[in-house]
Amino acid sequence: MMRKTKDDAELDDFGRFSEPALLILVSLADGPKHGYSMTEDIATLAGVRLGPGTLYGALARLEARGLIEPLKSEDRRNPYRLTDLGERALRARLDSMMAVARTGQRRLAHA
Amino acid sequence: MTWMLRLYPARWRQRYGEEFGTVLAGRRASPGLVLDVLAGAIDAHLHPQIQLSESQPTKGDTMTLAMLLRCAAGGPKLSPQDKKIARWVTIWSALAIAALEIGLAKAFRGAPAVMALVYWSAPALSLIYEQTAYLRQRSWRTQAFVLGGGLSAMYAFMLAVCMVKL
Repeated sequence: MMRKTKDDAELDDFGRFSEPALLILVSLADGPKHGYSMTEDIATLAGVRLGPGTLYGALARLEARGLIEPLKSEDRRNPYRLTDLGERALRARLDSMMAVARTGQRRLAHA
Repeated sequence: MTWMLRLYPARWRQRYGEEFGTVLAGRRASPGLVLDVLAGAIDAHLHPQIQLSESQPTKGDTMTLAMLLRCAAGGPKLSPQDKKIARWVTIWSALAIAALEIGLAKAFRGAPAVMALVYWSAPALSLIYEQTAYLRQRSWRTQAFVLGGGLSAMYAFMLAVCMVKL
């Protein structure tokens, strides 16, 4: 069983919003984006078009946990960016996913 | 489609309403989108603490929060099972109401009775959740009276508002 780090545990308890939350963090990893750009970016990178209900359910949770923060904007579309905590949580989650992927591929190679 | 924003709690709309509306306006209407927005609205009603935690409370908010906490401390204790049942009753009610709204909107577009149903649905879902959670231990007569009476009174009020407005 893989051990979870403290940062990795920041993304726990998101329920059905776990995957959208992770995709949002990945989308924000290369810079701030507003809701619509995130949806388009996620559709390109993961082939999933998040509905607005799912997108803002995940955004509200990420913001409440301090993993992302809104930037001031004069536009109606508020951009969001990763916080330091969000960056660490994303790194930790991606590391653990890569460890699982490497183990899976190694086992398949020996199967 | 942006009328669906009214299904979300006022505080949520205040925080995310504008940007949510922009994203929603850019999407083509579909049953999947309606379900997604409805599920999001139910989630926002069931987890208000997610919106409460993201802003510093003002002086007025602090008083309101203190009163809310006092009421919550004295309120009935709900078991996880009670909450689970109430959640599922609310979700299925939301789906049934949405299906009814879509059907009626197609048949009687713009009718005051249909508009009243749309406005009624958000507070109705909140009432359904509260009543199914807190009145579960009461007799079915009490439940039927409180829930049926509450829902009917709310619909009558919304209908009156729509008829006056139109």
